[in-house]
Amino acid sequence: MKVTVKMTGSFVHTAGFSERTFDLAPGTTTDDLLDMVKIDKSRPMIVARNGNAVASGEKLEDGDRVVIAPVFSGG
Amino acid sequence: MFGWTGNILRVDLTQKTFRVETFSEEFAHKWVGGRGFALKALWDELEPGIDPLGPKNKFIVALGPIAGIPAPNTGKTVVAAKSPLTGGYGDGNLGTRVTEQLRKAGYDMLIVEGVASEPTLLYIEDEKVEFLPAAEVWGKGTYATNDWIYERYGRRVGVLNIGQGGENLNLYATVRSLEGRSGGRPGMGAVMGSKKLKAIVVKGSKPIPQADPAAMKKLGAADLRTVHEMDKKSGWSIQSTTGILAWCNEVAALPVRNMRKTRHSDAWKIDGERLDDARIATYGCPTCTMHCGIAVRDREGRESELDYENIGMLGSNIELFELDQVGSLNYLCDDYGLDTISAGGVLGFYADAIDRGHVAGDFRFGDGERAKELLRLAALREGDLGNLLADGTMRMARKIGRGSEAYAMHVKGLEVSAYNCKLCPGMALSFGTSPIGAHHKESWVITFELNQTVRDSYDRGKAEKVIELQRIRGGLFEYIIACRFPWVEVGWELEHYPVYFNTITGLNWTLDDFWKVGDRIYALMKFFWLREMPDWSRKMDYPPMAWFDSANADTDGPIAGKVLDLEKYDGLLDHYYDLRGWDKRGMPTRKTAAALGLEDEARQAEVFGRLED
Repeated sequence: MKVTVKMTGSFVHTAGFSERTFDLAPGTTTDDLLDMVKIDKSRPMIVARNGNAVASGEKLEDGDRVVIAPVFSGG
Repeated sequence: MFGWTGNILRVDLTQKTFRVETFSEEFAHKWVGGRGFALKALWDELEPGIDPLGPKNKFIVALGPIAGIPAPNTGKTVVAAKSPLTGGYGDGNLGTRVTEQLRKAGYDMLIVEGVASEPTLLYIEDEKVEFLPAAEVWGKGTYATNDWIYERYGRRVGVLNIGQGGENLNLYATVRSLEGRSGGRPGMGAVMGSKKLKAIVVKGSKPIPQADPAAMKKLGAADLRTVHEMDKKSGWSIQSTTGILAWCNEVAALPVRNMRKTRHSDAWKIDGERLDDARIATYGCPTCTMHCGIAVRDREGRESELDYENIGMLGSNIELFELDQVGSLNYLCDDYGLDTISAGGVLGFYADAIDRGHVAGDFRFGDGERAKELLRLAALREGDLGNLLADGTMRMARKIGRGSEAYAMHVKGLEVSAYNCKLCPGMALSFGTSPIGAHHKESWVITFELNQTVRDSYDRGKAEKVIELQRIRGGLFEYIIACRFPWVEVGWELEHYPVYFNTITGLNWTLDDFWKVGDRIYALMKFFWLREMPDWSRKMDYPPMAWFDSANADTDGPIAGKVLDLEKYDGLLDHYYDLRGWDKRGMPTRKTAAALGLEDEARQAEVFGRLED
């Protein structure tokens, strides 16, 4: 299944990409995805799947768009 | 008394006189500084119902016990007055050398009264206060004014100044400093302008009284290094606040087309990556190691310093997706001394009103060139259109009529910052209950809401979180005074701040002591509203009605077909009031006021409206 990952803020530089589509095995979870993109999971972050909050361990589906962002203040 | 100079400098522009007053230890402990000092002074000294742009309003510069002492991000100053934009208490903070210089001159607060007979530069150097002519720069922008000041006094002095926006009483004119810093969204620059006060220049030479200066020096230096290292490790400063833009676009919270839409396919053209690529310089405030101001070359080749709010409101909100053009609008706002958030809100509202056929005009979404001219008209109040735009969204809607209030994006008269809350009830509550109007600085709950709660829930936990953040952001950081970024952006723990405070003051406060001060300030800001608006109702704590309008719902994307629910929002507001100990109108009860040490203020407030037990 294909899942597109969008990085924002400093994670673009940490992960080394801004947006990338991954070919993942069925059953892949958001935690698995975080391991694959080499983001330190201890860092405060915001993960959204198709624009909405995602639970830890939630299984991804074909066509999903996941955005991974550090916690922001916004100005 | 350590930590405070114990002095207030009171200046009368009409009489060209000044005097130094002292304040008590009790006052210092009860209101601490910054927003607390300014609010209490305005409550005690202003006559109810005065014209905010008349001679009876007072312009205040207020500092806190941590302000100006080297430690993570302590270079902030609060400017305050009765707001000409909202009619309530208004304030803002900005990074400036005034913070350190005014404290070194021996003052924790400057109160400016009266109206000068001619454009004036107020010069303060320790005990010396001079009223100097500023006609030479009256009519000039903040950049030229700053240069003029630096030529005369050098670059190390503290400077606050205004541009043409403040001079011409544009209601969202700000106070400016250090070329790129602005503060006082609710029209604090217009209050300076109404007093013909073009600039304040401050130079101080005395040590700031501290209980243990050696310990604080060591601690502050070490912590500045640590925060710098944490920032470098996290990479936050690479995009700074602008990293949020791409996220807002992904989660359907970006202001687009006067907040009619929440996402746009061209948003990437003005996001943090593009800004970092276009960077030509980076700027920050004094005593800051997390420089968040990213400067780019604007369309005209000038240097323009941007952050997220600027880009969100002067870019996506008016559907302008050319970064250099957004830079141009930002530059003009900075030079005229206009608030970029409100300016973007005003332009978006105007384009929307034209688009809906509610007013005749030639401005269209995405027209950067026309937007430049409109900013000029608004700053100079040139013609009917300039006057319309200079009054802000709330008054524009009243003038335009035809139901335009339904899409006027403001709270209490202050334009909404760059978060589109069509389906963010908690953030909408943050904006709604902000006592100065829709400012993100009070409580920024959106990431918590979207990450850790059911997005369209209205449960008590969201109200609790809004209050928790108001105590930190609208409270602690606004009165001690320091920038909130080390805490929220790189994880610098809040527990550091009582340590600084106690080292400087010799006291032994905990965070709980600070929360009570914040609650006291929020309660008094509500009494300030009651005094100015005896018919106050809970509707003043509502976010813009557009967010409840199903006709305004997104047609695709994560929140397609959904908007806020007014009945549920009222329930959320009830939770908020209950948690704060306020009545159903949103006014503190007598019991709450007493618990916060506001018995006298409650009695004074009851002249204007009855409080519940």
